Amino acid sequence: MMQILAIFLDAYRSLNAKKMFWIVLAISLLVVASFLLVGINERGVKVAIWQFNSPVMNTNFVPPALFYKFLLLGIGFPWYLAWLATILALVSTAGIFPDLITSGSIDLLVSKPIGRLKLFLAEYTAGLLFVTLQVTAFCLGSFLVLGLRGGTWEPGVFVAVPLMVVFFSYLFSVCVFLGMVTRSTVAALLLTLLFWFGVFAIDAVEYQLLREITMKRERVDRSEMWHGPNHGRRPRETLPIERNGGSVNLPGAKPDAQSAEDARPIKGTGPADGAGQEKSGVKVTRAVGKSLLKAAVESMKPEEQREKKASPNASAKAGNEDREEDEGNEFATLEATHKIVYGLKTVLPKTSETVKLLERTLIDMAELPEPRSDRRKQRARVWRKTEETIRARSVAWVIGTSLAFEFAVLACAAWIFCRRDY
Amino acid sequence: MTTPADSPVIDLKHVAKTYGRKVHALRGIRMQVHPGEVFGLLGPNGAGKSTLVKIMMTVVRASRALGTMLGRPVGHKPTLARIGYLPEHRRFPAYLTGRQALEHYAALANVDRRTRRRRAAELLELVGLDRWGKSKVSAYSKGMLQRLGLAQAMMNDPELIVLDEPTDALDPVGRREVRDVLQGLRDRGKTVFLNSHLLSEVERVCDRVAILVLGKVVHQGMVDDLTARSRHYEIELGSGPAGRLQEAVRSAIPVEKGTLASGEGVELAGNVVRIGTDDPARVQPIIDALRSRQLVIESVRPVRQSLEDFFIETVSGSDDRSPVPRDGEGDPP
Repeated sequence: MMQILAIFLDAYRSLNAKKMFWIVLAISLLVVASFLLVGINERGVKVAIWQFNSPVMNTNFVPPALFYKFLLLGIGFPWYLAWLATILALVSTAGIFPDLITSGSIDLLVSKPIGRLKLFLAEYTAGLLFVTLQVTAFCLGSFLVLGLRGGTWEPGVFVAVPLMVVFFSYLFSVCVFLGMVTRSTVAALLLTLLFWFGVFAIDAVEYQLLREITMKRERVDRSEMWHGPNHGRRPRETLPIERNGGSVNLPGAKPDAQSAEDARPIKGTGPADGAGQEKSGVKVTRAVGKSLLKAAVESMKPEEQREKKASPNASAKAGNEDREEDEGNEFATLEATHKIVYGLKTVLPKTSETVKLLERTLIDMAELPEPRSDRRKQRARVWRKTEETIRARSVAWVIGTSLAFEFAVLACAAWIFCRRDY
Repeated sequence: MTTPADSPVIDLKHVAKTYGRKVHALRGIRMQVHPGEVFGLLGPNGAGKSTLVKIMMTVVRASRALGTMLGRPVGHKPTLARIGYLPEHRRFPAYLTGRQALEHYAALANVDRRTRRRRAAELLELVGLDRWGKSKVSAYSKGMLQRLGLAQAMMNDPELIVLDEPTDALDPVGRREVRDVLQGLRDRGKTVFLNSHLLSEVERVCDRVAILVLGKVVHQGMVDDLTARSRHYEIELGSGPAGRLQEAVRSAIPVEKGTLASGEGVELAGNVVRIGTDDPARVQPIIDALRSRQLVIESVRPVRQSLEDFFIETVSGSDDRSPVPRDGEGDPP
């Protein structure tokens, strides 16, 4: 224990000596303080002495507590903590392991009666100290902003401390691994940022695919959603498509689409219904590259369609069946693509979703105000459904699979650390 | 746990290290260091000295390591709490003060807080850094860092101290201070394992040495013993015509193939006669013979080869491919 405390004390001294630590802390407090200057009233939003009237963003429509939650959860945490502060934290901590394994420095450490694995884990944990302190300071400020300005004392804000530390640890593990391999701080930092960008891109693609699937299910045309009905072209009738177990149903209509059932997350888009999918017998044929997608699409097609393909004469029975088939094909392709991206995402750390877990904790979907215009309603409906699908993914899946990735990367880094000759 | 007084502090039976599959850094080291002695490890660059030291300190993993340190197998981590180590290129975190650095590394060696504080003050004074204890190590000169490293190696009051080039970067005064520290340690019964390039330093402070060449111990023993075989007497004669002098010497001492009838080797170089013996009694008849030929003797002195001479002779005379071990080293037991 004495050794671990010594390493933590050394990490604290190291942080204390780094100006970056204090700079990031100062920026954090500045960001929180800036939220104090923003207020909401009956007419709209007030920033310091400037009033911005808004028909939507006012206390009649959005309660102050929700407004500040939005402010913190929409800007403070995802943009500042999850991006800027994280990059600064990576800049500050990327050098820990490359510096540690420098000749002369590592000799003094590994020649002490402390196991290499213990030393590695202690140093790694000490590296997370940076983020822990930063996030704690930010959360404390956010808690005060919510209480003083929003009128709600929300201890749930402090959930951000473990969440953000876990989120940072995904990236830090990669950074440590790269630092061990390259022995270079700059290389480790740049490659980690590249990795993060890759993870973010996959996450964004998965989200977009999920939204497209949701739009199709909800009979929402993209053009209508963004520009309103009859915008620029003849409105296209979209068909609600519902996955029913392993088959895709293409009903002519399901008029009560807004029924209570809509509140349920979409099937086939997350681990929540993974078991059900398996039970229904959907199997993606083993294949490679493009053929994988093709095989997946084929497996997603409803039984009837496959039969129709087998006997072309049967397809001529109904006039609009071709169009339905196109819709079905498109949907199946979307689902198959989503499934592949989702599979890829499963093995990678889920940075965005980990950050969003805080939103889950602090904002209930029921709290959200109803949009007024139809266009907004449509957009909100799709957004809600997509969010619900994402929220249906269990915390264990989001954190668990990400930590599994982190564990694997750390294990590789620790193996290198323990086996290397210095 | 303490080591019995008679058993070696370091008892290496077979230590080998191969990098990749081709580079044999150590080819089976056998070496013994006894309690209370200052032991010097010598060897040219690339001989494997640092690798051996690093294996002993678990910085490098041996391909094979049979033997003990302080009675425990080589690489036994808890035993390192009883060993002090100064690496060759020590690097202290720049944000620590001298005192903090000492206390930090002592904590890693499981030294309790009170002892850490006390010993830090004592050792800073011992190495002449008591006024600099509160200064950041980034402000230290190379010599000061080396002295701090030496203090760091002694923080856990070790039974064995392993020093890798401790006088590196030190000026003559600093070297003398290190030498005094080493002698002080020996006086207190500590065992010191010293790896150094400075042969004169080693010769001054070490009781025993081992010479490593290409990953093998080619000589090991007391410094006096290693250099004893080179002891001889030199008789300096008065100057005179070279040809006549040589003729006179040859007539005085009958030499056959460079050896006297009594077996001592004889060599005439200029006006100096070298006699290969360390026994003064055997020199007397030669002096008498020279005097009987009316040769003037200016001086007679016993000469001993320095460790440096011996080292250079050993290194240059070693066959790179098959160094000849003296103590049977090289073969695993």
